[in-house]
Amino acid sequence: MKTVFLSVAVGVAVLLALPFLLSQGLLNAAVQMLIAALFATAYNLLCGQGGMLSFGHAAYFGVGAFATVHAMNAVGGEGLLPTPLLPIVGAVFGLLFGTIAGWFATKRTGTYFAMITLAIAELVHSLAPHLKGLFGGEAGVSSMRMPAWGLDFGSTTQVYYLTLGWALLCVGLLYLYTRTPMGRLTFGLRENGHRLRFLGYNVHGLGTAVFAISAMFSGVAGALQVMSNESANYVVFDPSLSSAVILNTYIGGVRMFLGPAFGAAIMTFFGYAVSDLTQSWLLYQGILFVLVMMFMPTGLAGLPGTVRQLGLRFGFARVLPMVGVSVVAALLLSAGGVFLVELLQRIFSQDYRAALGAGSAWPPVTLLSREWLPGAFVTWLVPVALFAAGLSLAWWARGRRAALEAGEPEGAPVEAGVIAKEGMA
Amino acid sequence: MTESILSIRGLRKSFGATEIMRGVDLDVHTGERHALIGPNGAGKSTLFHLLSGHLAPSAGEIRFDGREIGGRTPQAINRLGVARSFQITNVFPGLSVFENIRLAVMRPYGLQYAFWKFIDRDRRIRQETERLLELVRLTARASTLAGEMAYSEQRSLEIAMTLASDPQLVLLDEPMAGMATEETQYTAQLVREVTQGRTLMIVEHDMDVVFALSDRISVLVYGQVIATGTPDEIRNDERVKEAYLGEEASA
Repeated sequence: MKTVFLSVAVGVAVLLALPFLLSQGLLNAAVQMLIAALFATAYNLLCGQGGMLSFGHAAYFGVGAFATVHAMNAVGGEGLLPTPLLPIVGAVFGLLFGTIAGWFATKRTGTYFAMITLAIAELVHSLAPHLKGLFGGEAGVSSMRMPAWGLDFGSTTQVYYLTLGWALLCVGLLYLYTRTPMGRLTFGLRENGHRLRFLGYNVHGLGTAVFAISAMFSGVAGALQVMSNESANYVVFDPSLSSAVILNTYIGGVRMFLGPAFGAAIMTFFGYAVSDLTQSWLLYQGILFVLVMMFMPTGLAGLPGTVRQLGLRFGFARVLPMVGVSVVAALLLSAGGVFLVELLQRIFSQDYRAALGAGSAWPPVTLLSREWLPGAFVTWLVPVALFAAGLSLAWWARGRRAALEAGEPEGAPVEAGVIAKEGMA
Repeated sequence: MTESILSIRGLRKSFGATEIMRGVDLDVHTGERHALIGPNGAGKSTLFHLLSGHLAPSAGEIRFDGREIGGRTPQAINRLGVARSFQITNVFPGLSVFENIRLAVMRPYGLQYAFWKFIDRDRRIRQETERLLELVRLTARASTLAGEMAYSEQRSLEIAMTLASDPQLVLLDEPMAGMATEETQYTAQLVREVTQGRTLMIVEHDMDVVFALSDRISVLVYGQVIATGTPDEIRNDERVKEAYLGEEASA
């Protein structure tokens, strides 16, 4: 418990220090990471804790965003509330819309619940372009952050601290929620809603409340996004945002409170850092998601716990080399995969196709500031060698693990599904 | 004339053309331990489902404490004072044993929507949870995940969760299934103790337990109660011997 408290304190301190350490561009990325982390944490209340897989959470993010942008423009541009308090508007509208949508959606469970959330999100998504007065059409609605409390909110640093303050407050509240009676019941809802009914609980009411709270904090995330961008466009209702939050949440790990925030921050950062370098970012995101689902159901945030568990069982001296080799194997495999994807992406690109003369040899492609001939043996040897090296190391690590398991007389409970570690990027 | 806490009249339930309950009449007296026996498929579990709100009756009435409860929702029936356990273990498998019982204990305190206070700070709930844990001998397993326990331990957990709401009428559906002899004896004694001052309806296949525990027994065969009486009366009832106990009893 003490170590947890300490690491949270260190984390907060680092976040507070970031504006002094980062460039403006990176600080902007950090703002986006915080917003994505808050959104994923809010989403996980519904998905990971309540066991309700929503496919349309962009709707509540978007409603919060538009409510806030209109609040910023209210009273002749003065704003309904002082700038630092504006996310409250996003929260209120997220809560209202979430209560209504949640009341319908939680009438059903499982697949039907997911379909209703999808339908509600699609409804808003297809309606938004037509309601120009409310959603501003293609141009969207823009606004200005008004000075308040002696701050002008003109610099990225001030926006960062504003976002950080709200993100920490909301994530903190969401954590405290898990310690309340209703928070504990949310876990019961995930585990066995049927039993709750026979214990005398109103399961539909509970589901609606959990949905509404999740939507409320999603609305705050939307509000922060609008305040950072000073504009809102109906693309926030796009299904890609709904799917991004699901992928981020699962990549981070749904069973740990900070897992989704961690996953969202990492994925947002990679999206920011990599999107300039590659056109295949979405492909990488998808591959990563599939690999995490297949080999690490506990998500990226579950990895340290898994390593620790193994270390306590077999002794760290024996486990750490194995983990190290696994990491190297993962890096080699990732490198091979990235090389292959980038090479193929360049070969199949339209520019390259256009440059291709009939009958002549295929011209070289540029990758890692080197020329690679598609017809040359060496070009294909690189990914094959990377894969071969990565796979053999992974194979060795797996064998070690199996040997350790076999060497143990009593089969202590093993966390399911963390047997294979190869292939994590 | 003894007062009845539960009275069932002409209760019918059919699934399509299949009739499971074919006109059940039954009275359960206040404070008695009433066992329900019958061959497989006689409709014992269906009767429990109808009493607890899991299923709605096709016809007939179920009066609990003078109020009609047939067709009400499970949570409404539970709040009136009827709690049940399940034949197939029905707990929260991914939560600790402590958490399982605590969720059950919280309900009567009206904390469903309480998000403004911490559960750990509530002494009443912690003490009550610990008391129930000790009662069913699961204190040592408090932090174990419910789904990882042995089947018989999960049965004990079911009993604790059923008792948590301090019900007037307790419905136990095969609470001793899968238990070893010693556990069965302990649980039978436990059921006897914890149902003091309550009314118990129990479905159980262990006949020794049934005859030792119950004040009265009803025999359900093909959706109808063919006999109700004290253990001795049931033992000597010709129809029961014929329909259910068969040669085993006459031998």
